[in-house]
Amino acid sequence: MSSADTPAKGVPPLSDQELALVDGVLKDMTEGESEPTISVTAPPDVGTPPAMFGAGGPMLKQFDQSTATSRAISQTATPPRSVVGIGGKVGKPDYSEAKIVLAMVGLPARGKSYLSNKLMRYLKWLEYSVKVFNVGQLRRSRARQKAQQSGKREDHTASYFSHDNAEATKLRDQLATDSLEMLIQWLKEGGNVGIHDATNSTRSRRQKIVDRVSREPGFVVIFLESVCDDPAIVAANVALKVSSGDPDYKDMSREEAKRDFERRIREYEAVYETITEPHLSYLRIKNVGSQATLCHIHGYLQSRIAFYLMNLHLKPRSIFFSRHGESQYNVEGKIGGDSLLSERGLRYARALPALITDNIGDAALTVWTSTLQRTIQTAEYLPYPKLTWKSLDELDAGVCDGMTYEEIEKAYPEDFANRDEDKFNYRYRGGESYRDVVVRLEPVIMELERQENILIIGHQAILRCLYAYFHDLPQADLPYIKIPLHTVIKLTPKAYGCDEERYTLPIGAVDTHRPKPKGGLPPIPTPKTAREYYANDA
Amino acid sequence: MVAPLYTTASGLLFHAGKILVCTVGLPARGKTHISRALERYLRWTGVKTAVISLGDYRRKVLGGAQKLPPDYFTLGEKSPETIALREKVLTGCEQLIWDFFNSGGQVVIYDANNGTRERRNAVAEKFDKAGIHVIMLESSCDNEELILSNIRSVKISSPDASIPECALAYRGWDPEKAVADYYNRIKDHERHYEPVEETTWPFIRIINVGEKIMVNSIHGYLQSRIVFFLMNIHNRFRTIYFARSGQSLIEHSYKADSDLSPAGWEYAERLKEFVLDRRAKSLEARGIDPSERRLVIWTSARRRSHHTAWPFLTHSANDQHPPARVKVVERPQMAEINPGVWDGLTPEQVRKYYPDEWVRFVHDPYAYRAPRAESYHDLCVRLEPTLIELEREKEDLLIVGHASVIRCILAYLIGLPASEIPAIEVARGDLIEVVPTSYGVYSQAHHFWDGPGRSSENGGAHGKDEHNFYENYAEDTRGKRRPDGSSVELQADVAAGPVPSAA
Repeated sequence: MSSADTPAKGVPPLSDQELALVDGVLKDMTEGESEPTISVTAPPDVGTPPAMFGAGGPMLKQFDQSTATSRAISQTATPPRSVVGIGGKVGKPDYSEAKIVLAMVGLPARGKSYLSNKLMRYLKWLEYSVKVFNVGQLRRSRARQKAQQSGKREDHTASYFSHDNAEATKLRDQLATDSLEMLIQWLKEGGNVGIHDATNSTRSRRQKIVDRVSREPGFVVIFLESVCDDPAIVAANVALKVSSGDPDYKDMSREEAKRDFERRIREYEAVYETITEPHLSYLRIKNVGSQATLCHIHGYLQSRIAFYLMNLHLKPRSIFFSRHGESQYNVEGKIGGDSLLSERGLRYARALPALITDNIGDAALTVWTSTLQRTIQTAEYLPYPKLTWKSLDELDAGVCDGMTYEEIEKAYPEDFANRDEDKFNYRYRGGESYRDVVVRLEPVIMELERQENILIIGHQAILRCLYAYFHDLPQADLPYIKIPLHTVIKLTPKAYGCDEERYTLPIGAVDTHRPKPKGGLPPIPTPKTAREYYANDA
Repeated sequence: MVAPLYTTASGLLFHAGKILVCTVGLPARGKTHISRALERYLRWTGVKTAVISLGDYRRKVLGGAQKLPPDYFTLGEKSPETIALREKVLTGCEQLIWDFFNSGGQVVIYDANNGTRERRNAVAEKFDKAGIHVIMLESSCDNEELILSNIRSVKISSPDASIPECALAYRGWDPEKAVADYYNRIKDHERHYEPVEETTWPFIRIINVGEKIMVNSIHGYLQSRIVFFLMNIHNRFRTIYFARSGQSLIEHSYKADSDLSPAGWEYAERLKEFVLDRRAKSLEARGIDPSERRLVIWTSARRRSHHTAWPFLTHSANDQHPPARVKVVERPQMAEINPGVWDGLTPEQVRKYYPDEWVRFVHDPYAYRAPRAESYHDLCVRLEPTLIELEREKEDLLIVGHASVIRCILAYLIGLPASEIPAIEVARGDLIEVVPTSYGVYSQAHHFWDGPGRSSENGGAHGKDEHNFYENYAEDTRGKRRPDGSSVELQADVAAGPVPSAA
């Protein structure tokens, strides 16, 4: 079968006899009266309906060969790409029109970096190209460089941040400007959303940003102000700042550091102006999750960002992931399907409640399952409220549903290799790609952000996608994340990432993980919960 | 981005409890437009919602303005009779709200001015005591132009019969004078109007129809959905076109994802010609140069749909028209309803292999999910993000879709109840044109194609293999019948009337 991109040439015209054959098959399938010319995989016996277009039978190939003629009378110059066989790669949607400068506004210790980080993870998961340009990182990196060259350390204590310190103010302005220039350059090179993570606390500073960005055609700037008047949250943020190894404070005692940082905040407070400029496009978040103000937020991505930020909260909670117990299809090595649990899978379902209850005690928890029997069965004994989501159903393998990998490889060796080459982008014919699953799971993520303790009884591909969101793993690695059976993964969101614990129950199960075929080790998730203090490319 | 629509023991969705949305705002600030749009959206997602309008209720009970005592609307001192009368209207209207909540309703949008703090508080406290979440939804305008254009298009010249008062009162007036008169009338209200500044109740304030939105302590899923929806609506004039994809080689299989048949390719070419022609005419009629506006085309990622839009991207050398400004967007969420294990089967085979499931399916084709398939309900949930995008799209839009998808979106735009979705007829070869307006939509179907695969009725020889019956249940079977035996006609449910001006 030659490529469908050149349908007319290169394909030997099918003989009338062959066409009649295919035609006959189609007729038989729909009329079901005469004897089929080509037998379907399994002859229908009572209770087993015929598998119509599975990749396992000959029908699909026969059909693909016949379609070569379908375009014969079309007059279009270049035919669109056609999929044959069991699927094909699908390119990423075009996001090149999105060019957004998102400038943070807020006093120190108001969660600006938390919000930028969170937003970056979300948008990257949706395949936007996002980068945070943190002015603090740039300042530290430059100072470190300078110190290494000249041996002289700059003074970055609170007095550096005072507006009365003319020299330092000039330096800081220069840093902010440089950071913005780097951001704009990066957007020009193909970025979508550049987050300018700085205090941007005065009107004149913000006006400078607006003026600069307006010189770039097609770029928009939105401000995200994080306001926090809850002393407890501010105190917690301050404590986190001074205790987590910030190089600004490495030579100070914790008490000293705290005093200095609080003084730095006061220096900013002295000149801080909350956003009131009526012409700006902005979003103000007060005490993350309690109040939001939106002004001139237009455009698709902007409103997505706003909706996402409105759904965040800071309450401590955990998210548990578990695959369903081992299913009969797992044992047989088949993909897809809607089979019941194996005997070992059932044991897992019975053992699960004790594990969860030991872990969270009396705390409230909600269990989410898919609509497939194996997840519902796994959740059966859990003493918590349960919800069923259609969106949590396993990746649809289309024509390959119900087959083993060996069968697919045998029937469609080339296609099979194609999928291994670029698994994230590969869409099964009549089914889904990992990207399609990410799009489908977006509402689930939104709901997860709003909820507190949640246990998801899911499927391998689904949990890979969700896991990648929480750990900020790249799309290329996503389809190879190890999510073994009979294991509970507990994620606890922290300021700059998620803590992870895994609990494996001693109930045997088959291994359904297929490593990347050639080269490249499967990614070892390195939970990034620590803040980064230096810019990578400064 | 809607959560799964699960029903709780109380019959309410999202565990959100009951919600009363009180609109707040001076006349001609778009309260009714916003209320109706929100009602349509929430109903479509399956939430039992009603707009209860104080004005409509008063008109129903007391009749038009001419039958009211002269001091009914004037400000300041009122006679005791008038006070009693107003009280009676308010109580009666509130009773309607209680009745709706008591009969299983979840969200009421109380469309009234609620212009004073005292008045708002009185309403809110009453309902809050009964455990109902109260949200203030204020619509304010500081742009005089917007107010005037709103008066012009809605209050004075609206074809809609639900606000006869102004239209009647100004019959025979010079339109500009009528606008000025009405404007002065509502100007008086401004002195007594108290904007929502109190933070007693959660509020959403919309300024200049979406230019700015302020939100205060809005919690809960349904509530934040309401905000997100309100962020995305606009009132720029545009047209939405719908057409089915061309005939494909294997119509009855979802999995095969087959390409267009020769007739399908021909259909695609014809569709392009017809749409461009039709659109040029309707834009020119409004004095808009079609080359100034872009046409956005959405297709699903299925071959039959995406390929039907293909001709739009090509331009043949002997065509003297300039290439149209077109953008084609492939949206994987818009794939047709998934038939699950019934893929490729005929109704006879399904009856044979899945007798119990078949009975349940026929009983409720909207809610029933065949094994591993999607129900129409699932499809609606899947399409919800697309609807938000549809609301925000400002350009003319052509959706080259599948019958099941078009049904769900049309039901949303027109405001049909969910149970009727599977029964909406969408014939291949018809271009459906929908123009959203303040009080609903104006829609029309244009027939442009009669080739093979148009529909089962005239398909004749093509017979059963034309269809994926799960997808086309409505057209194939009694699915198109309502319980009372009547069939659903698209045209009959559409607000008729001339296309309103672009104001």
